[in-house]
Amino acid sequence: MPSIVRKRATLFALLVWIGTVLPSCGTEPDNGYLRLALETEPTTADPVGSVDYSSGLVSSLVHANLVRFTPGGELVSDLATGWDISDDKKEYTFHLGAARFACGRPVTAEDVLYSFRRLLDPVRVSPRWWVLEDIEGAPAFHAGNAVDGLGISNQDDSTVVIRLSRPSAHFLSLLAMPAAGIVCRHDAEERGDEYGIQPCGSGPWSIGEWKEGDELILVRNPQLRSGRQALEGISIRIIPESMTRIAEFEVGNLDILEIPRSELDLWRSAGAPLLSAEELRVVYIGLNNSRPPFDDPMVRRALNMAVDVEAIIVHVLFGAAVEARGSVPTALRRSPPPGELYTYDPDRARELLAEAGYGEGLEIEIWQRENPEGGRVLESVQAYLADVGVRARLVTREWGAFKQAVDQGTPDAFFLDWFADYPDAENFLAPLFHSRNRGGGGNRTGYSNQEVDSVIDAAALVSSAEERWELYRRAEEIVYSDAPWIFLWFPVRYEIVSPRLDGYRIPVIFNGQRFLDVEI
Amino acid sequence: MLRFLFKRLLLLVPILFGVVTVTFLLMYVIPGDPVLTLVGERYDDETLERMRSELGLDKPLPVQYLNYLGRLARFDLGESFVTKRPVSDAITERFPRTLALAFSAMLLALVGGVAIGLLAGWGRFRWLGRATMVFSLIGVSIPVFWLGLLLIYLFAIKLSILPPSGYGGGSIKYLILPAVTLSFASMATVARITRSGVVEAVGEDYVRTARAKGLGEMFVLGKHVLRNALVPVITIVGADFGSYLSGSVLTESIFGWPGLGRFIVQGILKRDFPVIQGSILFMAIVFVLVNLLVDVSYGIIDPRIRVKEKSG
Repeated sequence: MPSIVRKRATLFALLVWIGTVLPSCGTEPDNGYLRLALETEPTTADPVGSVDYSSGLVSSLVHANLVRFTPGGELVSDLATGWDISDDKKEYTFHLGAARFACGRPVTAEDVLYSFRRLLDPVRVSPRWWVLEDIEGAPAFHAGNAVDGLGISNQDDSTVVIRLSRPSAHFLSLLAMPAAGIVCRHDAEERGDEYGIQPCGSGPWSIGEWKEGDELILVRNPQLRSGRQALEGISIRIIPESMTRIAEFEVGNLDILEIPRSELDLWRSAGAPLLSAEELRVVYIGLNNSRPPFDDPMVRRALNMAVDVEAIIVHVLFGAAVEARGSVPTALRRSPPPGELYTYDPDRARELLAEAGYGEGLEIEIWQRENPEGGRVLESVQAYLADVGVRARLVTREWGAFKQAVDQGTPDAFFLDWFADYPDAENFLAPLFHSRNRGGGGNRTGYSNQEVDSVIDAAALVSSAEERWELYRRAEEIVYSDAPWIFLWFPVRYEIVSPRLDGYRIPVIFNGQRFLDVEI
Repeated sequence: MLRFLFKRLLLLVPILFGVVTVTFLLMYVIPGDPVLTLVGERYDDETLERMRSELGLDKPLPVQYLNYLGRLARFDLGESFVTKRPVSDAITERFPRTLALAFSAMLLALVGGVAIGLLAGWGRFRWLGRATMVFSLIGVSIPVFWLGLLLIYLFAIKLSILPPSGYGGGSIKYLILPAVTLSFASMATVARITRSGVVEAVGEDYVRTARAKGLGEMFVLGKHVLRNALVPVITIVGADFGSYLSGSVLTESIFGWPGLGRFIVQGILKRDFPVIQGSILFMAIVFVLVNLLVDVSYGIIDPRIRVKEKSG
């Protein structure tokens, strides 16, 4: 090749390289920005599509609801400055304050109606439509029938009336979920599917820039009353690997870091000032209650006694969990958990198995999703079970395949957890143990006990928190004794924040922290 | 040459048809229901069925396949099940980033590998030859994941001269660590192959003649030795370029690089059929075109290949 051609080819290659490497320069958030990282990118910021954690988080930072949770988990007013509940506990009248969407339009009762109808839309089905299913006529509306029968109406521009089909003590909590965020009707209709990346809410933040796969920059909602937030904005970077997130924190590029459990000892021994909080999450091994051998409560109890949960917490989880002696996390309890029924006792476990007719031993499969920590946990469980004559084969599947098998009742047992959607004992007991929710509803073991069903149903009708808790406590006690699971633990979350940050606390429920009191 | 190009481009059609069909069928063979990953932890069967019908997954397989082919014929890769946004938009946005990473890695592997291989094969420094072999062994056996974290620890945390991760709006300093990580194994292979090519060429008569003519050592190395040692190197780098593109998944994850690799992995984990099918089809086209380019470049580097073609 002549040298001039070669030189040109080299120059061309160099230009291609520079052209691909140096596109436009991004805007770096300045000092008033809080810098966070998420493992996965939000799939949408649209309330009706927010199913995963990241999407729910961003959607609830951008959208306000009628009511919301504080970082401490209390339910307080948000767009609704007040509300009245009728004597029959079925009618809620919300009075809206003078708020505006980020686009400048006022938030009206019409927007609330539109947002709720949108969540119940029979055509574009939202996986979260069940959040409003207690509203009168909601299931029929969602099914595409009885369009006029929906129990939501507006008395005037600032008053919304919601009528329920039955009293529901946790209804207000449902309204604080990300899915019940109020969208700007005008923008939602105009943007269609694009609304997910260009949302317009009346929450404290609005989306400044969304660099797909890289970073999401939230800026102050310009319409929010001044003085409500100290931060200029929030930068949320997408960093899939935990070790990389740690490196970013160490070099000072992140303000809040969740410490992976495997790294806890290192940080503790370095004397780092860690924040910690028990999560609203329960980890368990579900036992398939609908067929042998786990249709026999005796076998299920035996397995609970065969596993030394405390030892696993200490040695595998580095102490970052609280043993589950029930199914409702500590933060939601008003009295201690059911008790010491299943302290580690392999001898008693063997006796129970023998009584149930499995003296010769038993072979089962325990399914898990791909997850290194789960693997270590289940290997310990496997060893404990082998000690009492239960040979457990571990089957690992990736999430989609695992979920399909579990929801179809394929495995004998499965390792899973349950996150709270809202901080209420109901959100653990009803989905996980009510027979109405068997399968995809959350009760994946197929557990069924009429007494538990009726106590849970009764609790939903009671408005006194004390009385409700009494009923939930009873339901939990029966469930604990029936042992549909091997009860494992409630994880404890550890975080570290940069010294420049003030006023941050780990929220009780993930959408409770809206960073209004956080300062730099 | 034109005939050759035309023939190769024509071959693209059956290859891509095969890719389309196999990826489509694979989606339905592997376990895991896309709708189940979309609905979250709590759902009822009716919602499941309605979402399935909304996505067109309730239709018989042949109908779905024909619909898919119909869309492709209109150059429509469809919309992501999860984000509802066009797959082609995401590819357009992310592919240049993966390309930038792959291209930089290739350049590094080529320049670094050839330089090391040349020095090692030259024969002036025997220890360098041995060191290259050790480097090559380490290079091909070191796990990408570990190397990436090691580089982050060294250059970002300890020396504070490079950012640990991110895209930085395209700034070069964000590209260096992922590019080095991605190029490492290939650089080691290139060094090794260059070295053996150089060792062989250095002993040839024409090199002795060139030296005897009194040509400078650098000129002999650059003009006579390197050129002959380069053909196998191009083969390796060319073949590797495809794997840079597809194999950048791990590197992209470690360094939070928002490229196409991570997009595909997310798609696979969520069973987002249009994302998987669209991205794989796109990657297949790129892969085939790169291979074609490599074949063409042989002729440019080694005139003998052109001669053979002509005489054949």
